[in-house]
Parts: sequence; C-alpha cells; structure tokens
Amino acid sequence: MTAVDPILASVYARLFKSITDEMSLSVEKTARSPILCEAKDFVTGLYDADGKMLEQTENLPILAFSLAPVCKYIKDYFGNDIHPGDVIFHNDVFSLGNQNNDVAVYKPVFSGETLVGWVAVKGHQADIGGNVRGGYNPNAKEVWQEALRIPPVKVYECGKIRKDVWELIFANIRLDIVEHDMRAQMGACNVGERRLLGIIEKYGLESYNAHKQYLFDASRKMIEAEIAQIPDGTYAGEGMVYFDGHHEGSKFTIRVEITVAGNSITFDYSKTDRQTDGFVNGTFTSSASATILTLLQMVNPGIPHNEGMVEPIKITIPEGTILNASYPKATTFGNHLCPPNADAIIRALAPVIPDRVTAGWNNLLCSLTTGLDAEKNEPYVDIGFMGLKGGSGAMNGTDGYDHIGMIDASGGVLDQDYEMFEQMTPHLLEKHEYITDSGGAGCWRGGLGVETRFTIGSEDTQLVTFGDGDFEPAFGLFGGHDSILNIIELTYPDGTKIVPKNKDLITGVPKGTRYRQIAGGGGGYGDPKKRDREILRREVRNGMISAKVACEVYGLEG
Amino acid sequence: MPDAGGYEKFKVGIDVGGTFTDFFLTVNGGAPQIHKVLSTPGDPSVAVMQGLKDLAAMQQPAMTATEFAGRIETIVHGTTVTTNATLTRQGAKSGLITTAGLRDALEMRRGIREEQYDNRYTNVDPVVPRYLRVGVEGRLDRSGREVVPLNLDQVRAAVELFKAEGVKAIAICFINSFANPDHEKAAADLVRAEYPDAYLTVSSDLLPSIRFYERLSTTALNSYVGPILEHYLDQLQGRLNEVGFGGILLIMQSNGGVMSPEIARQGAAKTLLSGPAAGPGAGLVYAKAQDQTSCIVVDMGGTSFEAALVIDGPVMVNHGEIDRLRIALPMLGIHTIGAGGGSIGRIDQGGLLRVGPQSAASDPGPACYGKGGALPTTTDANLVLGYLDPEYFAGGKIALDVEASRRAIAEHIAVPLGISVEKAAAGMYRVACNNMAQGVREVTIKRGFDPREFPVVVAGGAGPIHSCLICQELGIPLQIVPRESSILCAVGMLMSDLKHDFVRTFVAWLDKLDYVALNAVVDEMKGEGAQMLKAEHIPPARQEHFVKFDCRYHKQYHEVSFVIPANALAAHDAGAIASAFHSEHNRLYGYSLEELGTGIEIVNVRVQSIGRVKKLTADQSKARSKSARHAKKGDRQIYLPESESFVLSPVYDGSQLQPGNRITGPAMIEEATTAIFVSRDFECAVDTLGSFIIFTRGREDLVKSLRKDAHR
Repeated sequence: MTAVDPILASVYARLFKSITDEMSLSVEKTARSPILCEAKDFVTGLYDADGKMLEQTENLPILAFSLAPVCKYIKDYFGNDIHPGDVIFHNDVFSLGNQNNDVAVYKPVFSGETLVGWVAVKGHQADIGGNVRGGYNPNAKEVWQEALRIPPVKVYECGKIRKDVWELIFANIRLDIVEHDMRAQMGACNVGERRLLGIIEKYGLESYNAHKQYLFDASRKMIEAEIAQIPDGTYAGEGMVYFDGHHEGSKFTIRVEITVAGNSITFDYSKTDRQTDGFVNGTFTSSASATILTLLQMVNPGIPHNEGMVEPIKITIPEGTILNASYPKATTFGNHLCPPNADAIIRALAPVIPDRVTAGWNNLLCSLTTGLDAEKNEPYVDIGFMGLKGGSGAMNGTDGYDHIGMIDASGGVLDQDYEMFEQMTPHLLEKHEYITDSGGAGCWRGGLGVETRFTIGSEDTQLVTFGDGDFEPAFGLFGGHDSILNIIELTYPDGTKIVPKNKDLITGVPKGTRYRQIAGGGGGYGDPKKRDREILRREVRNGMISAKVACEVYGLEG
Repeated sequence: MPDAGGYEKFKVGIDVGGTFTDFFLTVNGGAPQIHKVLSTPGDPSVAVMQGLKDLAAMQQPAMTATEFAGRIETIVHGTTVTTNATLTRQGAKSGLITTAGLRDALEMRRGIREEQYDNRYTNVDPVVPRYLRVGVEGRLDRSGREVVPLNLDQVRAAVELFKAEGVKAIAICFINSFANPDHEKAAADLVRAEYPDAYLTVSSDLLPSIRFYERLSTTALNSYVGPILEHYLDQLQGRLNEVGFGGILLIMQSNGGVMSPEIARQGAAKTLLSGPAAGPGAGLVYAKAQDQTSCIVVDMGGTSFEAALVIDGPVMVNHGEIDRLRIALPMLGIHTIGAGGGSIGRIDQGGLLRVGPQSAASDPGPACYGKGGALPTTTDANLVLGYLDPEYFAGGKIALDVEASRRAIAEHIAVPLGISVEKAAAGMYRVACNNMAQGVREVTIKRGFDPREFPVVVAGGAGPIHSCLICQELGIPLQIVPRESSILCAVGMLMSDLKHDFVRTFVAWLDKLDYVALNAVVDEMKGEGAQMLKAEHIPPARQEHFVKFDCRYHKQYHEVSFVIPANALAAHDAGAIASAFHSEHNRLYGYSLEELGTGIEIVNVRVQSIGRVKKLTADQSKARSKSARHAKKGDRQIYLPESESFVLSPVYDGSQLQPGNRITGPAMIEEATTAIFVSRDFECAVDTLGSFIIFTRGREDLVKSLRKDAHR
C-alpha cells in the first residue's frame, strides 16, 4: 500500500473535478437538443474500477445519483467481458435506470490491460421511441408504451462499432438529433478517458488507488459530521402526489420515516402508497436520487461528491410502491416525484433542524409542444423550461430564490433564450415575467413564480403536460404562508378554453392558440409581520409584493 | 522622435490596480522607467496625476509637471472604474425600455442558481431595478417583420418616469432587434429628443446579434457604467489639460486593444474586463524575442491569478461575465482564479488542505506583514520555504516576520494535519501551484490546446516564485520572466493597437450563401471600423480588417467562432470556409462532421478593425559572459519540490545580471519588485532583452541564444 500524502489527495480531488467539468463542457457545446445544450439536462461522472463515484458534474442533480448504481450493475452484467474500447449504452429503468429518456453512455477506462475506472454521461434525449414523440406519454400503463428499453448494450466492442446494434437502436427513435447527441456524449467520455489515463500515467496506479480511498474517507467524515448534528430520533413526514394520469381525483401519499442514529441516517419509505397503474411511478434510483439531493441541501454544500458521501445514507423503498414500481409498470414521471418526496423529508426534519430546511418549493408543471414549423418545413420539439420554473422555499435568514425551478434541478436548468425559442419553434412569446405576490409571505418570503404566455405557431400541434402543483401549493413553515397554484391553460382561436389535466396529451391544437402558464412561487418562512420593513417597501415599489398584500398580510403601514 | 524643439517625446502606460497604480515610461533612446504609487480608489485620477508628478521629478534634470506633461506624446490608460462601479453597484441610476411582457429577463438571468446545493446563495442585484424596467408595446417576429407597431406614447411615458426618478442612463433593448433595428431606432430618437442629457445605449447599435438575454444584459451594463466612465474621463482629461498635456490619450479595452476617449464614452462596457487585458499582448513581445509566436501568459498578484493564451495574438472569446452578469462583447479569453500571495490556507472538515479563494488581501494581509493577519497565506508559505528574503521584500521596503508566518501555518495547517511547519508550507505551495496549473488548463486544454507546446511568460510580483512547479505540473519546458514582469500590463499598454469589434446576425446556409448580401454586411462593418479609426487619426495604410464567422452544424445550438481565410469571401469559396470551420470544431471538441456532410449554418458575422500604432520596441543588448558570479549575493536554505527538502542555494541580485549570464537551479534571483525561483531541474539564461529564460535542464535547444551557441 502506497503511503497517502494528504497534499497529493487535494491535488487528486481537484483533478477529478476538472475531468467531469471538462466532460460537461464538451456535451454542452456540441449537443443539438436544447434540452442538453441550453437546459443542461445531463450529468457527467467519473468512477473507479468498481464503479464507485470519484466525482460528478451535476447539472441536474436528480440524474446525478443514478449513474453510479448502474455502473456497478454494468460491471457485474458483463463480468470479464469488458475490454478497452467498449462503449455501453443504458436507459432501462428495470436495471436501475432512473428515466427512459435519460440515456447513459458508459466507457471503461483501461491502463494497459487493467481496468482502472469508468467515465459516463447521462442525458435527457429529445426522443426515445415509444408511443409519444418526446417520451412523455400520460396514457402509458406499461414501459413499452413509453420508450425503447435499452438494457446494458455494447455499441462499440474493442473499439469497433457494432453497426447492427447501433442501427437497431436508432431505427426505433424518431429524431435524428438523438443519434448526434449520443455521439456528443461519447465524445465527452473520450475526453474523460484521456484525462484519467494522463493522471494515472503521471502518478501511478498504486498512488491513484490509495488516494481515491482517502478522498472517499474525507467525504464520508464530512457528511457524518453533518448528520451527527441532527438530533437522534425517528421523524416522519408526508408529501402528496395528485392524479395518476388515468383516474380523476386520484391522489397518493409518500411517507418517509427518517431515523438518525449518531452519524448515520436512514430513510424508510415502507409506508408509502402503492404504485399507480399510470406513468406516475418512480424507480428506485430516481427516488433515492431525490432523497439524497434533498438531504444535501440541508448540509454543508462544500462536501466533495463521491462514494464516501453517500455511504452513510441508507434508503429503503419497497418494490411495488409509487416510489419503486415493479416490472413492467410505466415510470416516465418518476423523476418528478422528487418534489413531493422532498416535501415529505422537509416536513419530517423541520421540527428538529428548523434553521437548515427551506419551506416548500414550487412543484413542477411542465408542457412539451411538438409540431411542424411550416416556415422552415422542419419538425420541432420544445420543453417549456422557461414556463415551469417557479420559486424556491424560504429558509430562516434567506428568502427563496425567484424563478429557480423545481428542487430536483435547483437552478441548474436554464430558460430558453427568448430569441432562440422563437428561432427553434414557430411560437411567438408574449409574456415571461415574475408574478406579484406569488412568493409565499413570511419573515423570509418564498421565491417568486412566473407567468408565461405565447401564441402557438403550428397547426395540429401536440401538447403534453406533466407535473403537479395545481392542487396543492408550496407550503409555508413556522408561520410563513403558502404560495399559489400552478396553471396551464389554452385559449383556441375560436375562444374555446382548455385546461389540460396535470398529466395530459392534447392533440390537434390549432395555430393561433394562446398558451398561458403560471408557475407558482415558494413557501414563506416565519411570521410575515416580522419582515424587514425597508426590504418590504422596496419590494412594493418593484411590484414583487402588492401594496395590498404588504398592508394586509405583512402589516406594512403607510 | 525629437520634436521641433529637439526634445525627446515621452510615452506613458498607466495601469490602475486595486493596490498600486503602475507607470511605465519610455523615451526614445533611453532606458524605460518604472514607477508605482498607491491607488486612490475614490478618484483614481489623483494617483495618476501624482505618479506623473513623481515621474517628472525623477527626470534628469528634474522637470515640473507642466514641462513633463508638455512632452508626453501618448498616454495609454487602463482603468477599472467601470469594473469597480459594477462590483460595488455604484453605477448610474438606470432605466430600461424593453418589449412589453419581458421586462424581468435582466433580473432572471435565465433562472440560474450557480450553486445548486446552497440554499443560502442568493441572486445578484440587477443593474436596473424592476420599477425602472418598462415594457412597451411593439413586436417584431424572428425575421424582423413587424407584428405589432411600436407604441411611442408608452416610450414617452417611460421617459417621463425616468426624468421624475432622476435616472441618468437609459438602455433600449427589444426582442428580435438583431433582425430589424427600426423599433429601437424610433424609440431612441424619441429618448434623445425628450431627454438629451441621459446617457443612452441602444442594443442594436452596441450588439446587433441574436440571444436576447446576452444583448439585454450587455446593453444595460453599458448604460449603467457609461456616466461613470464619462465622469472619470472628464476629471482625468481636465486634470491633464491643467498641466498642459496636449498629446493623445488612449483607453484600454477588454479586447486587448485601445480606443479614444470619445469612443470609450459610447461603449463604456468595453472597459469592464480591461484590467488584465494588456498583459497577453505584452507577453507575446517577450516571447517573440525567443522566436516564439505563441505563448501562455500568467499573472499572479495579491488576490488573483490570470492566465491567457496567445497564438500569434491574444485568443479572443465572444462573451464573459462580471459578478454573474453577462457581457456579450468580444474580449480576451483571460481566465481568473482566486489564487494570489494573499490566498488563505485552511483545512476543510474532511481534513483536506485548501488554499484560496479567500484572500487576506492587503488588509490585514499575510501573517508575516505584522498587520494583524493571523491566517496563513501563500506569501507566508513562500517565506517559510525560503523563497522570500525577510529583509528584502519589495526591495527592502516591507520587513517580513518569519515567526508570525510559522505560527499561523502551525496553528491552522501543521498541527491539525500532524505534520511539520515546513511540510505544511510545502503543501500550501503545492496546492496553490496546482490551483494555478488548473487555471492554465482552462485556457489551453479546455480550448483544445496542449500547454506543453507553449512557453509561459510569467508576470506579477508573486508569479516567478511559483512558475517552475506550475510548469512541472503541466510538463511545460520553457518560461520567460521579463524584467518588467511586475508591471507587465502597463508595458503592454504601450504595445496595444486600436481595436474595434463589430457583429451582425446573418443567418444563412454556407452552401447557399448570398455573397452580395453578405459582403454588403461585411463592408458596412468595415466602413464603420474605418470611420472610427479615421477619427482616431489612423491612416488607411495602418488599418486592417479581419472577418470572422460564428457557425454551427445543422441543428446544433451553440456556434464556433473562427477567422475566415483571406480572399475566401471575394472568391466565394465556401469550401475554404467550411474546412476552416471543421478544423476549429475538431480542435475544440474532439470531432467534426466533415465526413457526414452535415450542413453548416452561419449565425453571426464579425469584423475586427485594427489600427496599427507604432509599438514600443524593447532595446536589445549584447550578450556578455556566461558567468553570473558577479551578481551573487549569498546563499540560503530553499525548499526544493523535486526532493521535498531544503537545500543551501545561491541567491543572485537580478539587477546585476546581464544578457548571456547563466544560472543553474536551484537558485533564487531577487529583484526590487519580484523574486524568481529557479528550481532544481531548471536552468536560467538572461536573453538580450534582459528577460530571464528558465528552461528544463538539458533543453538548451529551446533557448534562442543557446541554440545559436550550439550551432557555432
């Protein structure tokens, strides 16, 4: 065993981070789908030979903690049949994938004949086959109505493309940009591979192995110290899911029991409701990822994210619950069970660590429009990122963040640039502004939500909605108020008003239809009457808070 | 050049920094002079005038300020007034007129939170508050066709609001104005008529290119800092006039060029990231003395470390950020990280050593300054490791307290890690160097260049202590430390050309290009550039115009910017343009789609107009003997990273070293404003410019003078 040099360990930590950052930049700059290059709905990761996480760049945290489990799965799956030059694709939710659209590229890294690590990129693809273009099928009951399943499959073997396999996959996907975007992800893996090999060449394999363990230990110590600060005990909380896509009025409860004992923490979801027969179901990885990212927002944000950080976190989610559906249930909505899962965790821990939790965040309600841009004679797909981003919950000492988006992205997903939106779609944007009074009132107010309006510019447009937050607003804490509800509504040229359900598929939407969306704000924290008066006056002047609410809710005089 | 009176004329480069204002004075036929005075942040022109007065007194025989100023031919001035006004939000009270329904884009910044896990991380204040952001009716579609006519009554109402609120600066930015500026022009005409005193920025004038948020943010920033720069230039020009300065004043820009004060007043945002912009160009001059046309320039000061790549000229990027606010103007691709002499070392909760980005700055400063600083900094580590002489810091002006450094390092690093103070100091040194090496990676590897292929020009007072280890980390065999390394930016100012950048969005397929329309757009930009240069007294013979395209493959989202081969436009040679694009894409991102025959789309067309000025030429001296014995001051214990031990090593007086002298590492070379560490595996030779050329042992082939020796 090589002696560990704590100084060299710091150097390794920096190098690993630079590798995943470089991989991320490579995808961002070369991908075609705006989902990847504008919204950055992808993650890059670096793993050791056993699939243990060395470092990640987590543009979208909900994807982040789903890469390592699959890496280990792939390693076991292929056993000895892993060779230099192999490239493996994976999305299958019944072998630890998190969402069908999130397709990962894994590449083993060999130093000579020795497997020394893995590089991986997982990104949300613009299409993944299945019944509905873009992938969100609210009518799905089984996985095959949602997507092409890709269990671990080698598309390159020993450096040689498996043309037949490659073509089989892309023959089942509608948009050719997906093929190019997967190439961009593979390119980023090459970038990561080159860098990791450079480091091993420089410092030697023994040194690399010894120091990575040291880094795991360092992160583990940090998270353990954070957990130790939470009083021991068992704490329960609930979060609600509304509508499974099939049964009007249906609702489901996520129940968590969190047990803190010394420096370990266990999340037990055994009492959570059963799975649905629609697509509103989680997978184990998407749900566990949600749990981890919510916890990470309650601890020191400076802990390096590696295997050691997740070790002390135990998660139990029985199969057959809404958070861990059994085969072959539909699960595309699974990533979006993060907000109610986070609600349950926050509610459980708020009484014991009141200064570390936020009030409730705005839940996601999203729309996806597809159709033909007649002027260009080209199909388009647009996920309405700018419209879905509401406010975050306030915490003691800090207001919520305006227009940040759901907790599972935490400000990592960006709005389309307005002019690029109009270049890429035939729509005309009319409004995208903060909503006055949408932040839950409080001594610390919730982040503001936004209103989005545009005119649909294609005939026979298809609109898919998915999300929640139209039945229950983001909640306030300790005297802070709730925010407002999410809304999506369409007004056809003939005046017909349509309010899609929160999981819905609407076809034949005519050109000239007016689209309107409200993304609510975050919940407030503490008594609004205690809010700083000077800040309040400034907010009234800026129209973030109305004079009426300032007077009636906040008690502002004059 | 002697003027009519037979006097030599002066040129002065003046660089206003956070702590010091640097002066570099040249006079034909004489040795250049270096001077530093303490900056005066309240009114930076006070320090400027003080420094000029000092320089006058330093002349032989001494001059009055008026005599001196009367003989200055050119002053090139780098100022950070706009930078500081933005960082501290002390810019002008500003109003924004924008498209109805979209007034919050400026504050939303596309909904980003840079720190995803930190719920205490708040948004930055916008440069225009919401109540002064007014949306007006009027709409153009994506091709610039009018959908809703502009409502001038609403523009007028906005102006009334701005007047009533005491707004000093106005920005106008409408959606899709890159495709058609008519609405913005109409609104601007009204603003000029109704409120002529307001500083006005119109987005389609400043930056007629696609991407609303970038154009909006840049336009608003320009207005926010415009009146600040105007006020500063008024003061400075007034003071210079008072002392009888009748020469040319030029202002440094973020793109590495200079401009007249009149043009600076219009495009104040062009100075926002100009602080370090003169360094890279200056670095190239010293590299050229070694027959190198490319180099990496690094500059390590008290709080920050800057790295830039120079390939024939400094590498440009098309946008950057200040305090998380976007600026979409061409600028030098300078990467800044929080690593400097004042960077603080600490052990994090996981037991890992970190250095920076927190800085002890100049107050309280490193522990060894004895000004109350108790936290260990990079400077403290350097002192413990023997790289700094406690008696000769800043030429002996500041006495350093080694014991204070040792105490700080012991308490905060060595004891918690259970290691010796020396090992802890060595660890801080190593981590700091590693951070800086990462900064160099950002401008090389991340942009597709191999750092080993470039010499590193080292600048900044603290740079040459660290450069050997940085270069070892990256495998770079050659370093150049100019004599003027501690004031490289001030030197660079006297070497900078006039430079103006233009951009137009011109969306078209490369293989279906309408060259007539394209050339009209290009000619229009060139014409604008020629006119500006003419106003700056640059004759056509000294003007040059370069054309760049921003292109992407079909359905890609981001563009790659590249220079169009000469004559390709005139010859309608799409093939030459395409291959330039493929190769740049491949270099940046590891692949191109040349073989697949994917379509190439042009998004923006850019022109850079350059007015060549007469450059400062550094004097070459004849090489003397190889021996450096005459310059040796003594010996001291110095830490060698290669052997991880202290070794008694010679110390040389840099001012005594002459061209041709050679030194073998390990050694220290001390100058009044900098210390140079030649580590064990390196050698140093002084070149004919007086620069210290540090090279990996056995690589004489890299050094021009030694290569010649080898030929003999």
